Parts: sequence; structure tokens; C-alpha cells
Amino acid sequence: MLDIIVGGAILGALFSLIALGLNLQYGVTKILNVAHGEFVMLGAYMTYLFSSLVLGLNPFVSLLISALLVSIVGLVAQTAIFRRIVNISQSAGELEFRSLLASFGLVFVIQNVVRLTFGATPIGVPYLYETVSLLGEKFQLNMIVSAIVSVVIALIMYFVLRFTRIGQAMRAAVEEPTGAQLVGINIGRVHMLSFSIGALLSAVAGSLLIMIYTNITPYIGPEYTFIALSIIVLGGVGNYVGCMAGGFLIGYITYVLLKWEPLLRLVVVYMVLIIILVIRPKGLFGR
Amino acid sequence: MFDVKVKPIEIALSILAIIVLALAPFLLHEYYLSVLRMILLWLALSLSWHFFSGLTKYVSLGSAAFFGLGLYVTAKYLEQSMRGNLAPLPLPLVVLLACVVNFVIALVIGLATLRIRGIYFAILTFGIAVMANMGVQFWEIRITGTRGTYLPLFDAKTVYYSVLLAALVVLLVTTILRRSKFGLALRVIGECEDTAVHVGVDASKYKILGFAISATLISLMGGCFSIRFSYIEPTSAFSSDYSLLPAIMTMLGGTGSAYGPLLGAIVLSLLQEYLRVAFAHHFLIILGVLLILIVLFMPDGILGLLRGRRAILRRRGQV
Repeated sequence: MLDIIVGGAILGALFSLIALGLNLQYGVTKILNVAHGEFVMLGAYMTYLFSSLVLGLNPFVSLLISALLVSIVGLVAQTAIFRRIVNISQSAGELEFRSLLASFGLVFVIQNVVRLTFGATPIGVPYLYETVSLLGEKFQLNMIVSAIVSVVIALIMYFVLRFTRIGQAMRAAVEEPTGAQLVGINIGRVHMLSFSIGALLSAVAGSLLIMIYTNITPYIGPEYTFIALSIIVLGGVGNYVGCMAGGFLIGYITYVLLKWEPLLRLVVVYMVLIIILVIRPKGLFGR
Repeated sequence: MFDVKVKPIEIALSILAIIVLALAPFLLHEYYLSVLRMILLWLALSLSWHFFSGLTKYVSLGSAAFFGLGLYVTAKYLEQSMRGNLAPLPLPLVVLLACVVNFVIALVIGLATLRIRGIYFAILTFGIAVMANMGVQFWEIRITGTRGTYLPLFDAKTVYYSVLLAALVVLLVTTILRRSKFGLALRVIGECEDTAVHVGVDASKYKILGFAISATLISLMGGCFSIRFSYIEPTSAFSSDYSLLPAIMTMLGGTGSAYGPLLGAIVLSLLQEYLRVAFAHHFLIILGVLLILIVLFMPDGILGLLRGRRAILRRRGQV
């Protein structure tokens, strides 16, 4: 029982971090970036590049470089692709549909560029993998460390969003895009910033994943996209607390199923999602 | 309900196309026949997808669930009847059975997801495809203890004619329904659902039925395509290609009439085949870049581009 509480929380913290980035991107820009999982994967491969292939850096140093590089990729994607889509779309529906398709294109591109560069064999950068016991159950140290890192980052994000000027601008852009512009918020800059922060967060999550798991391939992206999407749907778009709660809920479900029946992992996640959506079509915490 | 207007030229062109397509196996080399079969498959899938999602703007990314289930039910029945566990039935009846199963499933899903709109609907339907895939895998590995399904062999001509016939059924059904009151209702829902309800359209009924019909047609294609394989397993039967490509092809062609999905499916499947042969390693990257470029520079598809040009010409003519 205790191991479920701790193990589920560890997974939940990681999942919340992944969902947080997508939630920020979608909440602020209304662009559904289904290539989000690809940014996670790219982040993992960048850490692999700097820790295992060249330089041999400490994985946590690579994590920082990876986060920086991937956030630049996110920024380029936003300015070159998504900003144009926002400009040519007349309605919210059109914008959603088009950004969905363009980001599917991005999925193909990122996935296959990584596959051609690094190959498709499963890789990992095992780090801090000794086991420690926590509440009578053995856990890998890196899982606990990454859960703590995730929670710290989530807290930082909370304070940035809540108390800084740029955070207020972002929240204004989520709630009232037109009004935000009227009071002088540079919405273009807010979009760019939230997109690159979203990419940055996913790169951090990817770098943490590659320290834990040794079976990272160029094809892991979509699964994380779907997990992140279900968390956002559960928690409500642009809702910080909902996103964290949804992350932990999905984390617990996944953890229990990984122990009991790994094959049904995604099935149950979606079952929960469908049930919640049927009862509350705008998500658990949606308005 | 079904007073459908068809222009004589459309009938003439369709009959001509059917004759040419029916004669194709006797004229074409085996490779070109398989390319033609592939085009027909994508064309029919795009038409079925467009019938619901293109008209109502409820973007479904779950086609793979119905394609895969149609394919799998057919394949399983053929396998079991080959082994003598089930009474042998002619292929059309087996496919029909698969379609009925899918129609019922789609009705239930439609009922359950009725209130869900926009991006939530897209995510949910994608989830249904993943669930179907994982569910069948679970059932095979844990319950029956087998992996995949073996099918009896069919020759290339039978496969081609079964796909051609199914594609014609799809074309006929979607055209008739789209041009009738049914299609009009779906279109109005796509323009503005609240208005549709206000003017007395029973939005729920049309949405559920439209979704179920589209899903059934997709499963019909799956059932008829299943005999192409001699062995099939869930990962390839429920490949997300079947969910994404019909949507992408329709988008490329443009929505509103049958010509959009038709054009989009033909162009993209030919392009895909060419790239696959010419640039085996880079083909998916090129496809991805193309997709992005399409969204950026011809967001209303090929039809939108043509319409835009016609509008410019008309304006010049008036001046």
C-alpha cells in the first residue's frame, strides 16, 4: 500500500511536469501542440548527446543545456509555424484544426530527424540508479530525485505565474486574450515566451526520464503527448491546480497498472478520461 | 428526405470512371494495380471521414478504431471458419457482420460523447483508437494466448475488386446522404450548432447517426481490405495512420464537397508512394514538412486555392 502511495506520487510528479508545459502552451496560445511528446523525446536525446556521446557531462549539466536548446527549438517552431497559423485563422475551431495538423507534421519531422541522427535502438543515461528504501519499499534514487526536481519546478512555475508581471500577463492572456491586448500586454511576446517555456519544461522532463529508463527510443513521444493531453482534459485547460491534480491521478492509475497489468495502462487512463468527460464535458476543474 | 440532385455530367463521369476502374486489373501491371488499390482505399476512408468530421467540424481522430475493428472482426471470422470453429459464410456476409458490430459500437460511442465538443472530441476519439488497439492486444496476449490472426489467401484481383466495390458503396452512400436533408443538417451543425438547434434541427440525432454511418463505412473498408493480408496483428490493424491520414487528406483537398477528399486522397497517396520509393529514409520528414507547408500556405486546401483563383478572375471580369 505504501509503495503505491510513494510510487504513484513519483510518477504523478513527472507527469504533472510534462502536462504543465503543454497546459501553458495550449492555455495561452490556444495552439494544440501534439508534438509536445516529441519535445520530451528531443530533450532526452540532447541529454544523451552531451552525457554519453560527446563531452561526457554530468546528466544534470546536460539537462540544463538540453532545456536551453529545446526551448530554442520551441521558439523557432512558434515563430515560424504557429504564429502564422494564428494570423491566418479566423475562428477558434479553424485555429485548433490547423495547429493540430501542423503539429502532426512537426511530429513526423522531429521523430525522424532524431531517428536518422541517433538510430532507433533503445538508449538510456542511467544516473543515480542505486536503490534506496523509502517507507519500507525500495525505489531507485533517480526516481525520487526527479520527483523532487519536478515538484520544485512546478512550485517555481506557480510562483512565476502567480506573482511576477510576466506571469500575470500570461494568466491574462489565458482568461481574456482581447482584454489583455487592450491593457497593453504584448501578446506576441507572451505567446513566444509561453511556447518556449513549455518546450523547456518538456525537455527537463525528457532529461529526467532518460536518467530513469533505459528504453528510450525516438518513438516514445506520442505516449507522453496523450498522457499530457488526458491530464489537461482532466484538470481543465489553463488550470494550474487541476493540472497538478490530474497529473497525480494519472500517475497513480499508471503506477497501479504497471504493477498489475501493464498492457491495460493506456486503456484505463482513457477509460477514466471518457467517464470524466461524459459526466463533465469541460474536465474535472473546467468552467 | 432523399431527393438528391445529380448533374448529368457527374453521372456520365462516374460511369466512365467505374468502367475504367473495373477494367484496370486486366490492363495494369501488378504493382500499379496495388497502387490503384491503395488510392481507392484512402479515397474511400477520406470520403467517410469527411462525411461526418468535414461537415460537422467535429474532428474525429478515431478512424483507426473502426478500420481496425472492421478488419479484425472479418479476419477473425475467416480464421475461425477456416479452422471449423464457426460456420463458413461468404465474404460479403462476414464484412456485413463486421459493419453491424461497428455500427452498434459507434452508436454507443456517439451517445456517450454527445456533449463533448471541439478539441476534447478529437482527443477522446484518438483515445478510443488507442483503447481498441490495446484492448485487442490484451485480449490476444492474456486471454486467447495467441498473437495475431492468420487469413486464407486471396488473389490480387479479388482483393482489388473487393476494395473497389467497397469504395463505390462509400461514394454512393456519402454522396446521397450529403446531398440530402441529412447532409444539410450536418452542415448546419458544422456552421453553428446552437443555430441548428434553434431552427429545429435535431442535432443529437444527426450527430449520432452521422458518426455511426461514417464509422460503419470506415469499418466496411477495413473488412474489405483485410483479405489483402495473410497475417495481421493489432499494431498494424489499428495503426494511427488510419486515423490521421484521412483527416490530413481531406484537409489537403478542402472540405464541403466530395471533390476535396477525392483530390486530397489521390494527391497525397501518390505523393506518399513516390516519396517512399524515391527517398526511403527521408520520406516521413518530407511528408511532415509538406504537411506544415500545406497548413501555412493553402489552409483551405486545393479546393480553397481553386475557389480563391476563381473569385479573383470573377472580380477582374466585373471590373
